[in-house]
Amino acid sequence: MKNLQTLMQAELLEALKDFKFIWLTIFFVILGVTQPLIHKYMDVILEHAGGADGITIDPNRTTPSSAEVLLSTVSGQFSQIGLVILVISFMGLIAADRNNGIQDFILTRPVSVRSYLLSKLTSHWLISMFSISIGALISYFYTNLLFDSFSFTSFLFFLVLYSLWILYIVSLTILISTFFKSPIIIAITTILLSIFFIIIKGFNHIFFQLSPGGILNVAENKLLSLQDINYFSILTCLLFVLLNISLANVNIKRS
Amino acid sequence: MFLFSISKGECVGLLGPNGAGKTTLIKCMTGILHPEEGEIMFNSKAIIQHKRHIGYLSQYTDFKPWMTCEESLLFFGKLSGLDRTFLKENTTKVLEEVGLKDRKNDKVEQLSGGMKQRLGIAQAILHQPLLLILDEPVSALDPIGRNEVKKLIARLKKRATILLSTHILDDAATFCDRYIIIRKGTIVGDIDNENNESDRKRIIVEIENAESIKEPLTNSEIKEMERISKNTFLLTGTKKLDLTEVVADFSQKGVDIVSIRFYKKEIEEIFLEMVSDT
Repeated sequence: MKNLQTLMQAELLEALKDFKFIWLTIFFVILGVTQPLIHKYMDVILEHAGGADGITIDPNRTTPSSAEVLLSTVSGQFSQIGLVILVISFMGLIAADRNNGIQDFILTRPVSVRSYLLSKLTSHWLISMFSISIGALISYFYTNLLFDSFSFTSFLFFLVLYSLWILYIVSLTILISTFFKSPIIIAITTILLSIFFIIIKGFNHIFFQLSPGGILNVAENKLLSLQDINYFSILTCLLFVLLNISLANVNIKRS
Repeated sequence: MFLFSISKGECVGLLGPNGAGKTTLIKCMTGILHPEEGEIMFNSKAIIQHKRHIGYLSQYTDFKPWMTCEESLLFFGKLSGLDRTFLKENTTKVLEEVGLKDRKNDKVEQLSGGMKQRLGIAQAILHQPLLLILDEPVSALDPIGRNEVKKLIARLKKRATILLSTHILDDAATFCDRYIIIRKGTIVGDIDNENNESDRKRIIVEIENAESIKEPLTNSEIKEMERISKNTFLLTGTKKLDLTEVVADFSQKGVDIVSIRFYKKEIEEIFLEMVSDT
């Protein structure tokens, strides 16, 4: 436990020294702000950006609800562009340690591989959730300001569920990192697998239940105040996290 | 299969060509890899339970570049479970020992290769290990860096049991009391550096005045006499030779012997014999 704490401190301190906390947060804040602004002022933006020739904006279009705006921010921006940036920021989390020999120095001490992996998982999940939460909070603030008000409790509940998806992404990056040395290959493989799990959840009910990507739907439903919380998807996501870390554990001990 | 033991205080060289399995063996010994079969024991217990008594230095040593030398040692010391007060005191002491006391507040990224390797040695000895495992500690360094690290190893040899993996045979000959030679994952030689008497058929003899020899010194037991230098000869026998008999034979022939000893094979010769395919 003490070793886990020491390793986590080092990871968090490294993120601080690398300005990862800052640039990742700025990135998610920009994503969080742009979506409500674009939804609200699309016609004004088009007009000031050289006119809206050829584009017809229905003046009677329905104003989206705050839940829909938030959903498009998180599902559209955070889960797509955000995912790519997150994975790119994590791609060296095991590979760098392995390539420069730090992993060997750590594991020759009375530190278990499990503690080492858990420190990576927890710290990078915290770093991500710090940035995502601030981005999402800013988005929530702008959405409330520009559209109708939205329940903060539902928003928080959504964030908690969404954080499980991020936990899964970090665990997947860790697992892939134990197979490959090249950060680029790690990033591409993780992104493709994440997209795969998002896509297959839509195939049918069984795939939905068995895909860790199902947690995204659960989170989105909470945002839209749909009450059918699927606890099985939460369990599936957590089981996949456990599976990823267990496989990574075995792989590090063998490779 | 590997079956060998290292006694307390020994400095053992682990030699072998590239791909022989040296690093894999070392990674198993240090608990980085977990062997699927077999046991590695340390003081009669599984070595994995004695990680705190093992110090390890790898060929390519690097640290978190944003940490200072002192912070790096404190980080690894904490992971070794060292007491806070002891760690603080020993960090200063170890940095002084490896010659980095003045650089303790410098970031690792500012250090040269040799300095990083010295810091690597510092992290390996920080917790006062009983067994020090050094994997190719100088092979990635320039001559200056090599010299710095070799001096340190020579000092460490006096107080710790060392397993030194290297393909630089001169270094092995300088530091090691014993060599374990491996090839394709198997031990092919376990040789004592001091008492390497595997070849008693050859003798090096230095005589007083080689020009004064009147008759051939070869006989039924000495089949060949090869001149190495002005007064030094390598005698090759048909069977194992007895030094006293050779001395007696030579004095009968009026040849004064200055020194006589069995020819000891150089480590390079032994190594090549053991790892060659023929």
